[in-house]
Amino acid sequence: MLIAEPLQRAIDELSKLPSIGRKTALRLALYLLKSEKADVELFVKSLIELKEKIKFCSICSNITVDEICDVCKSRKRDRSIICIVEEASDIIAIERTNEYNGLYHVLGGVLSPLSGKDADSLNIHKLIERVENSEVKEILVALNPDTEGETTTLYLAKLLKPFGIRISRIARGLPIGGDLEFADEATIGRAVLGRVDL
Amino acid sequence: MTIDFIELENFRLHKKTKLKFSKELNYIVGGNGQGKTTILEGIYYLCTTKSLNQSSDIEAVNFDSNFFEVKGKFSDLTTNTARVYYDTEVNKKSIFIDDKQIYRASAVIGKFPVVTLTQSDHAITLGAPSERRKFVDSVISQSSETYLKILLEYNKTLRQRSSLLTQIKEANSKNLFDQLEAWTENLIKNGTEIVKHRLSFISDFNDYLKTAYENIMGEIENPEIEYSFLGECAAGNIENVFEEEIKKRREEELRRATNVVGPHRDDFEFIVNDYSLKKYGSQGQHKTFQIALRFGEFFFLNDKIGRKPVFLMDDIYGELDLFRAGKISDYLGKIGQAFITMTDFTKYDNLKKTENDLLINVKNGIAENA
Repeated sequence: MLIAEPLQRAIDELSKLPSIGRKTALRLALYLLKSEKADVELFVKSLIELKEKIKFCSICSNITVDEICDVCKSRKRDRSIICIVEEASDIIAIERTNEYNGLYHVLGGVLSPLSGKDADSLNIHKLIERVENSEVKEILVALNPDTEGETTTLYLAKLLKPFGIRISRIARGLPIGGDLEFADEATIGRAVLGRVDL
Repeated sequence: MTIDFIELENFRLHKKTKLKFSKELNYIVGGNGQGKTTILEGIYYLCTTKSLNQSSDIEAVNFDSNFFEVKGKFSDLTTNTARVYYDTEVNKKSIFIDDKQIYRASAVIGKFPVVTLTQSDHAITLGAPSERRKFVDSVISQSSETYLKILLEYNKTLRQRSSLLTQIKEANSKNLFDQLEAWTENLIKNGTEIVKHRLSFISDFNDYLKTAYENIMGEIENPEIEYSFLGECAAGNIENVFEEEIKKRREEELRRATNVVGPHRDDFEFIVNDYSLKKYGSQGQHKTFQIALRFGEFFFLNDKIGRKPVFLMDDIYGELDLFRAGKISDYLGKIGQAFITMTDFTKYDNLKKTENDLLINVKNGIAENA
């Protein structure tokens, strides 16, 4: 079947998005085709604005519209602790908890020689600068508990040790409200090893 | 756990085979190339979704067809039907348990435990160290999900670390040494966990091996598996010796750009009467050892997971003298349900067939209860 060229182009572009296949792309394109022109213009405008207005914070690389992000700007935040995360999306996850009131630092990846990620390609220099030039007393490493995340955590711990500040990592264990019997063995095993005194 | 029946459709030689099984011994008898092992393979597919000898799914399809289907019913405390369907046109395998499609093969693995005793087991005692690691890893993984996860993490660390070593060799950048240290630390951490699991497994498993060996040979020989990590057997010291050795061989690692220290290079020494089986064992001792390993595995898994695995024994009798054939036949009586292929049943007068046992004749892809 021959598809009109503008439609085909829209399908091709949409299917470049993550987790969008050809069929979903077709459905989305047809939906947009049926929508009001004003709505589609609004949609397109929001995407362009996203690209034009969003910047990365010059201090922590968080997503922001200004030079410096809201977290780094805020006077209410605790400036003595920095939480290291892999991506800006992790900040959103931690912020939703309302449990953390310190600052952040986005690494932009983890060490992975196989995919060509080494320490130089991570946002580490700026982190060192921040630790050197501020009143930071603690670094909290919050990376994924997989091989690459673990290794990066170990690497950062070594790197930051000479500064004589507290270096911590997020705990690993069981999900809240979870049933012990339904958790997988490895998670329970880790939780047992990382038990805490009462 | 037992299998009540199996149905094979377009599965190798079997165009359409339906078989009911005994809850005890099932002897599958027929000439060469008639489709005996295929019945075992069908059972193996249901347990693991994979072929016995790691061949691809497409090879299991009958030459005149474009799909195969294997269906069976497992009975334990409750019953489960399992079905594997493979289509050559789309090269896709679908797995169903109780008619519900399962999308992750890992959800099936371990649900129906299986132990196989085949000719290719000779590699475990005669072959390279990797064959022995494969045996040990597969037995521990079946009884401990934690071990399987650590093993996967460790293998990923190995790949990352060797890639980094290659980069260091090519670029010789000082900065990368700090990262190597982090990867080394991770390697030691995960590797130590693996060694500890292996140590405790071997000390457990030796009892099972001895019992199995005794049942096959009588009390005349004393088998054992010896395992140490860099000469160290005490779990508490593993991390230290690992660290020392990897420091010592740093130059070698950098020069060769590979991981030269770690449990991925482990070997397990098989001992009979204080002598190395590999160096001094006779063919017969090798065979007995291989069989004892599998019987040991069966009873080990039975105790660890609290369910009897399915036991598959492919063409083993052909290589045994009458004494051991008789012994094994007795021993099989303790297993519960087992599936045994052989070319000729009448040859072995020692085999004890009870009235609950079943004889299945296979000829040119057609099987029937005798």
